[in-house]
Amino acid sequence: MLRHIVQRLLNLIPLLFGVTLISFIIIQLSPGDFLSEMRLNPVVSSETVEAMRRNFGLDQPLHIQYLKWLRAIFLRGDLGYSFAYHVPVTWLIGSRLLNTLILNLAALVIAWLVAIPIGIHAATRQYSFSDNTLSMTAYLGISTPTFFSGLLLLLFAFKTRLLPIGGMTSLDYEFFPWYGKVLDVARHLVIPATVLAFTASAGLMRQMRGNLLEVLRQDYVRTARAKGLAERPVIYKHAVRNAINPLITIFGFEIGGLLSGSAILENVVGWPGLGRLILEALVQKDLYVVMGSLLIGSITLVLGNLVADILLAFADPRIRYD
Amino acid sequence: MRRMTIAVGVAAILLVGGIVPLGAQQPKLTLPGIPNPGVASYAPEIGKYGGTYVISQISDPRTFNPIVAQDTASTAVTGALFEALVDQDYLTGEIVPGLAESWTVSQDGRTWTFTLREGIKWSDGQPLTTEDVAFSAQAIFTDGVDNSAVDLLTFQDQPLRWRVLDKRRIQFITPRAICPVGIFLRLIGAIDVVPKHKLADALAKGGAEFNRTWGINVNPKELVGTGPFILQSYVPGQRLTLLRNPNYWSVDQKGQRLPYLTRYILLIVPNLEQSRLKFLAGETDFYSARPREFAELKAQERQGSFAVYDGPETFGSEFLVLNQNPAGVGSGGLTPAQLSWFQDVRFRRALNHAIDRNTIVQQVYAGRATPSWSPISVGNKLYVNTNVPQYPYNLDRAQQLLAEAGYRKGADGLLRDAQGNVVEFTLQTNAGNTDREAIGNILRQDFVKLGMRVTFAPEAFPSLVSKLTGSYRWQAIIIGLTGGIEPSSGRNVYLSSGDLHMWRPNQEKPVNEWEAEVDRLFEQAACETDQAKRKTLYARWQQIYSEQAPMMWFSNPKTQPAVRNTIGNIKLGLQGVTGTLETRYYKTVYK
Repeated sequence: MLRHIVQRLLNLIPLLFGVTLISFIIIQLSPGDFLSEMRLNPVVSSETVEAMRRNFGLDQPLHIQYLKWLRAIFLRGDLGYSFAYHVPVTWLIGSRLLNTLILNLAALVIAWLVAIPIGIHAATRQYSFSDNTLSMTAYLGISTPTFFSGLLLLLFAFKTRLLPIGGMTSLDYEFFPWYGKVLDVARHLVIPATVLAFTASAGLMRQMRGNLLEVLRQDYVRTARAKGLAERPVIYKHAVRNAINPLITIFGFEIGGLLSGSAILENVVGWPGLGRLILEALVQKDLYVVMGSLLIGSITLVLGNLVADILLAFADPRIRYD
Repeated sequence: MRRMTIAVGVAAILLVGGIVPLGAQQPKLTLPGIPNPGVASYAPEIGKYGGTYVISQISDPRTFNPIVAQDTASTAVTGALFEALVDQDYLTGEIVPGLAESWTVSQDGRTWTFTLREGIKWSDGQPLTTEDVAFSAQAIFTDGVDNSAVDLLTFQDQPLRWRVLDKRRIQFITPRAICPVGIFLRLIGAIDVVPKHKLADALAKGGAEFNRTWGINVNPKELVGTGPFILQSYVPGQRLTLLRNPNYWSVDQKGQRLPYLTRYILLIVPNLEQSRLKFLAGETDFYSARPREFAELKAQERQGSFAVYDGPETFGSEFLVLNQNPAGVGSGGLTPAQLSWFQDVRFRRALNHAIDRNTIVQQVYAGRATPSWSPISVGNKLYVNTNVPQYPYNLDRAQQLLAEAGYRKGADGLLRDAQGNVVEFTLQTNAGNTDREAIGNILRQDFVKLGMRVTFAPEAFPSLVSKLTGSYRWQAIIIGLTGGIEPSSGRNVYLSSGDLHMWRPNQEKPVNEWEAEVDRLFEQAACETDQAKRKTLYARWQQIYSEQAPMMWFSNPKTQPAVRNTIGNIKLGLQGVTGTLETRYYKTVYK
């Protein structure tokens, strides 16, 4: 097992190398750069723009730029400087990382707590009224884009004044006691976490339902029932445990999306997370911010999958990595 | 040397105009340690102390270093923290004293001596001296410091020079043989004064280090300024909280120290939609509405206890420009035929007659814009020339002009030039700008009616800019520029040698006689101290531009600021600015 983990982590290195190289080339090949907007400013001369290009190192050949970036990471863990903000990329990402994590973790917990029981419920009562209703709701959840449901809930908050309109904290947040701070963030979390959890749980619930239905048709379930075992132990001890395997793989993917899954929604509801930062950086071609976030995104994705594989080994005795 | 004093003139002009300022008859106002404070005589009301004023903005600031700050999200913050020697009156656009109480200029117009107000302190208690002013100028001219002021303050490769006379007096000397008098004070107004005692170490380490100093990761306590507010905290992606600067050097007409507000908060929101919702919900006190929102907001005024004002036009405008650059001929760019059409003024005039400005005003700006015929906005009362030739929408006239120029519409309905080439071109703008995209569609429809084959192809902003300023491979583009009050801030666009002289940039010698005349007008205007004469020179330039139509302006959108009724001292100025931050106050009782 340990060997397997080490091997996977070692695989990460060439993978990240490839991911960053390809993205670096693609970003640089697309026309224009960070200074495009400045070139259209009547009061800035082209000499000044060129001087800034040299300052940023954008005048050097592509491979030199890339190698310099890599070297700084290996030597100092330095992801480079943001052109737009004049601060290290690590600081910029660090200032937003926790916020995105809070949002996605909240959504993840809600989604799983809601989806698994509902999925089981729907599978055991296939084609009943409640199953059909839940399925309809799930389709709605899967097909509604998060920016749309986010906007709808913002309008709801605006009309009812029950919830704050976007953002993460209130004006006087700094003066609140610790429990007030927690409550304040929780109030702001309601809308974005609900939107994310709704979409995620819709898919999860359908997965859970489908898997469980499949398992319930297996011979060993029929055998258990024939032995006269009560329905509850049949479902929870035998069927659910077997049906949950594919969900663990999904769980791994979701861990990978913890830092990037909410990017669009953050831009709609004004959650001060990584998503807004990265989208802005992409539009402006703030090269190293984009590269840094891509790197972090890739690492979490790979690690998420690794976690899922380890969990699978625990959940399913048939899976062994040695 | 004989010197003339300009500063004293301000009050006199007001008296001559028949308007007696409230404070004019009162005894001289002072502050402890500041014998000659700034007096906010423009504010209509005497305010009350206290309260929080909350506004929202779309982006995070990029830096708190005012020398490096260029984007509006950053300058919105640094503008409240730092100040320059002179200021611009937001109502008239005229230059008024700032940190300097007065200034004189030598007879030859090259040596300017500024005197600081006595007793001004930085927000950390240190006295402001001319050493700080000299340091700020030095920062601008230090190699590697990113800022746009350096280009404004360099005249034909010669930088501005300065000399500290004593603690309160500093001289600026402009290079010989060049006379940028007309705009000199505005340029001085572009230099935010920063504290030497805080930033000298960073500047000593070079430009790159200075650019990073006072970045958004700075401890707010380090930000020491002379502005009405100081930064208390910045939470990335969420808000900036500013507090009243107790050392501020300005008073109201009763001699009470400004500003009135205790707190000034800038919320960071992701888009205009949320900015609007937050204003309507009462979470913010100010919203700069878009033209098409005016009617809707007007209807909600009472219910939302706010007022939305019918503001004047902004200085910016969208326009159409045709590529006249021989360097643009080639694949992806111009064909030789296209070059000859676009260089033909008769062709350009015909197109200008086919631009339906009224439809643009109605459809794109919901009626909240004024048709524009000149590079200067209707909102710039100081310089606009409203008597330039106009090109009213008239397709028959356009058709007739084209026929006179040798273009014929065939039986197939297509327009052909004298050589038989079908008139076709690609019209572009930056994708995602809905206003420009809408304008492009309106234009295309009318151009097609003339028999032209026009493809409208919006493209991402960066690649559009690299075509415009780098490869020159483009045909027709709809784009906009933000305008300053002084036309000379657009030198780079209007001079034939300019990098942004879009239709044919970087000309060694003016290609057309009219371009040579524009170059001369700009040089003359730069040397002209008399405002009225400057206005005449720039009026001629606007005349030429309208006649030659190298750029075709559409309209100047109006502003429609909306302000909560609890906020006092609202008086609309240029570009719809509603007042100054230091005189804004919170009315405690509101019915």
